[in-house]
Amino acid sequence: MSTTEDDSTDGHSHHLPAVEDWPQGFGEASWWPFVTALGAAGLYVGAGLFLLGQGDDALVGASVGPATIIAGVVLFLVGLYGWVYHGFVKHYWSRDAEDSTGKLRWGMLLFLGTEVATFGAGFVYYFFIRVGPWPPGELPDLLSSLVLANTAILILSSVTLHFAHSALRNGNRRRFAGLLGTTVLLGVVFLAGQVLEYYEFIVGEGFTLSSGIYFSAFFGLTGLHGLHVTLGVILLALLSVRTLYGHYSPERHTSVSTVSMYWHFVDAVWIFLVVTLYVGAAFTL
Amino acid sequence: MISGLTPLAVTSVTTSVALTVSMGLVLVAMIVWLARVEDIRSYVPASDIGGGAGQTEYGHEEKPGGITRWLTTVDHKDIGVLYGVYSVITLAWGGLSVLIMRTELLDPPATLIQSTTYNALLTSHGITLLFLFGTPILAAFANYFVPLLIGADDMAFPRINSIAFWLLPPGALLIWAGFFIPGIAPSQTSWTMYTPLSIQQPSPAVDLMLLGLHLTGVSATMGAINFIATIFTERAEEVDWANLDIFSWTVLTQSGLILFSFPLLGSALVMLLLDRNFGTTFFTVGGGGPLLWQNLFWFFGHPEVYIIVLPPMGLISIILPKFSGRKLFGFKFVVYSTLAIGVLSFGVWAHHMFATGMDPRLRASFMAVTLAIAVPSAVKTFNWMTTMWNGRLRLTAPMLFCIGFVSLFIIGGVTGVFLASIPVDLVLTDTYYVVGHFHFILMAILTAVFAGVYYWFPLYTGKWYQRGLAKWHFWLFMIGSNLTFFAMILLGYAGMPRRYATYNVDIGPVAQFTDLHQVATLGAYLIGLSGIIFLWNIVQSWLEGPPVQSSDPWELAEDGLLTNEWQWFDHQRETAITDGGAESEETDTDTDDNSEETA
Ligand code: HEM
Ligand SMILES: [Cu+2]
Repeated sequence: MSTTEDDSTDGHSHHLPAVEDWPQGFGEASWWPFVTALGAAGLYVGAGLFLLGQGDDALVGASVGPATIIAGVVLFLVGLYGWVYHGFVKHYWSRDAEDSTGKLRWGMLLFLGTEVATFGAGFVYYFFIRVGPWPPGELPDLLSSLVLANTAILILSSVTLHFAHSALRNGNRRRFAGLLGTTVLLGVVFLAGQVLEYYEFIVGEGFTLSSGIYFSAFFGLTGLHGLHVTLGVILLALLSVRTLYGHYSPERHTSVSTVSMYWHFVDAVWIFLVVTLYVGAAFTL
Repeated sequence: MISGLTPLAVTSVTTSVALTVSMGLVLVAMIVWLARVEDIRSYVPASDIGGGAGQTEYGHEEKPGGITRWLTTVDHKDIGVLYGVYSVITLAWGGLSVLIMRTELLDPPATLIQSTTYNALLTSHGITLLFLFGTPILAAFANYFVPLLIGADDMAFPRINSIAFWLLPPGALLIWAGFFIPGIAPSQTSWTMYTPLSIQQPSPAVDLMLLGLHLTGVSATMGAINFIATIFTERAEEVDWANLDIFSWTVLTQSGLILFSFPLLGSALVMLLLDRNFGTTFFTVGGGGPLLWQNLFWFFGHPEVYIIVLPPMGLISIILPKFSGRKLFGFKFVVYSTLAIGVLSFGVWAHHMFATGMDPRLRASFMAVTLAIAVPSAVKTFNWMTTMWNGRLRLTAPMLFCIGFVSLFIIGGVTGVFLASIPVDLVLTDTYYVVGHFHFILMAILTAVFAGVYYWFPLYTGKWYQRGLAKWHFWLFMIGSNLTFFAMILLGYAGMPRRYATYNVDIGPVAQFTDLHQVATLGAYLIGLSGIIFLWNIVQSWLEGPPVQSSDPWELAEDGLLTNEWQWFDHQRETAITDGGAESEETDTDTDDNSEETA
């Protein structure tokens, strides 16, 4: 394609993301980014309202914040759905995927780069306190069988996901679907394990976010990681649903590949976290 | 002062630095590894992926009308304009807030406003101009011009681009919320948000500000990912790394800095929020401690200053040669120095903490790296000067602002080098000298922005600005800036501490303080006046200015300096004509209406 056959004659050239988007009939314009951004903003405004609703001299009702957060989340998801559906799902097989694969993979890698920094701040705090007097007060039994089992489960899920991806590339869709489903399941089990651990610590032993300097790091980092796993499970579940709709082939597997990168990364962070936050706290040299 | 910390704490700092670095390395290695593993079968060299981009799809005619167009646009040029409009609004608020402060400082006691109001304005001024103006205005240029310069259809992710922009207005509202929600006091933390002050301030406006900052940080990070992906994957076939333009290089480096610094700030902000509201100990005295906040903040904060200065340097490197009649001198070295600054800027953060009692050995190494970072900055300065040397200078408005940039940047840089020296810094830190230092550089950034606005004005409006007003703008701005900030340098030498609403003191040269403050305020009014002239010029000329008569309004072709974006402009105009568009047929007459400007 050259510059001569430009858009004034051929407006709906295929590289435009979604011709049937909303508002309809325009090659490019779309309401979804605006809706998505509005939803995300609702989340932040809701958090602010929640804080304004605390205390005796609260400026707003206590339920205003949570309600705004929920509205924000819904709006955010609607926006995301519209965007992804029109951009990637609607014309899955007729879309020209080749030119977007590279940049989507770049996007995911760069995002993971930002994640290093996001987790970094929390780890820096932990190292700051870890090199001080240790242990800083009473610590729970950190190296329980639960943690070990959970770690094994998460590592296993990376393995199943990897082989799912290989199966897809080898054209074995049935095996791909099976292993992908297994990965989702393992992710859910891991999350359940985390919930159980939190339950034991918080309800069982009375350790909370505000129980001292170790627990800021513990709940902060495992909480952040847990959020990431949750997102990962959602992404994997979306892959599974799309698989049921017949998406993906040995040549077209961009989102499988980007979600895999994300999942492996989250897995690696967990291992790092176990080594430092669990093992590193339980042993003093 | 030097040995304020126990040996244990000293080891703790060094150990943490070591651990942080190794952790970073591990995770980066992970990413690299992932990239390979996941790539085994589908690997395509990055430079080939963008291969299709040679088919530059100039202009996207089909857009809805009215406000819907702006709310739904994913066109990089429209989004660039949105960023620009947003930045003008934030610039206006940042400027107004400081004019109130400067008026208050005309006399020693607090007469006009209370000191709490002063603190609130100070906080809002800094945060607004650094986060809500500095980064977005550069995104405005980068959005509009990077795709044009590299011959791409659009950004790599047009929709993420649009989301990133629309996160900014709510972010600004949250940050400013303290001023217009009745019943709560605006945040008074200053832009550095040092703990324990920022933990203890009771007003929920602080929480809202932190949330707003986080939101705008997410926006900046999304933008950075987009720019890097765009420059890597969307370049036209004929644009390779060797002839990538200098502005895109600086945007690429800037985005790399954003990628690692903004998310870190984001986490630190969340930790601060938790400390304030949920009883955590991240930055409390018994927990991570106030110094941890300072380390994290400045690990973000120093790269941030280069985040907002690198693209302006790119603008200057692209515009200044055009009016010197020659190519940029030592192009390669300008690129290398950009990359060097990018790397080094993560290794100097503790020069903001020389007076905190950190380990003297560590402090000395930070001094060394800080001095080192002045070298690539100086390389650029010499390149600009040698570009002008023996050149055929045309003193158009953009060129005047380029020269203004170089002069302001030199003063800002030289005053910075003095601060990099520990003994000097221990005397001058927390005085007006520091304020003078960084404002020289921030004013330089503004001049680069103005240079860009005037240089490309014909391109994005199709009109001419009023040259006379542009020169008034320039001279008032330059005189005002030098008056204000030179007075501040002197105030710093005299010992005037920064961040005070009053200087009604018993000891100290109050008379000199008063004189210098009055000079500084006078300069600030001149800058304010220049801003009004600028705004009037832009708005009036956009609406009613004389149309541009040529696709090469700056007559760059004869010097062989015409860059891609003007070819796009040419194409735009031709399309408009064949479509029977707005332009008249006399386009290619040689009697150009800007002969005065380009002569
Ligand atoms: C040329 C090399 C530079 C050197 C050697 C340098 C050095 C320094 C030093 C040592 C300080 C700390 C002063 C103190 O707090 O006691 C400082 C402060 C500062 N510098 Fe620079 N600087 C340089 C360039 C820049 C640039 C390019 C910018 C902005 C774009 C900048 C913006 C700032 C700001 C904002 C502060 C004050 C932060 C605060 O305390 O609020 N500097 N500089
Ligand atoms: Cu610095």
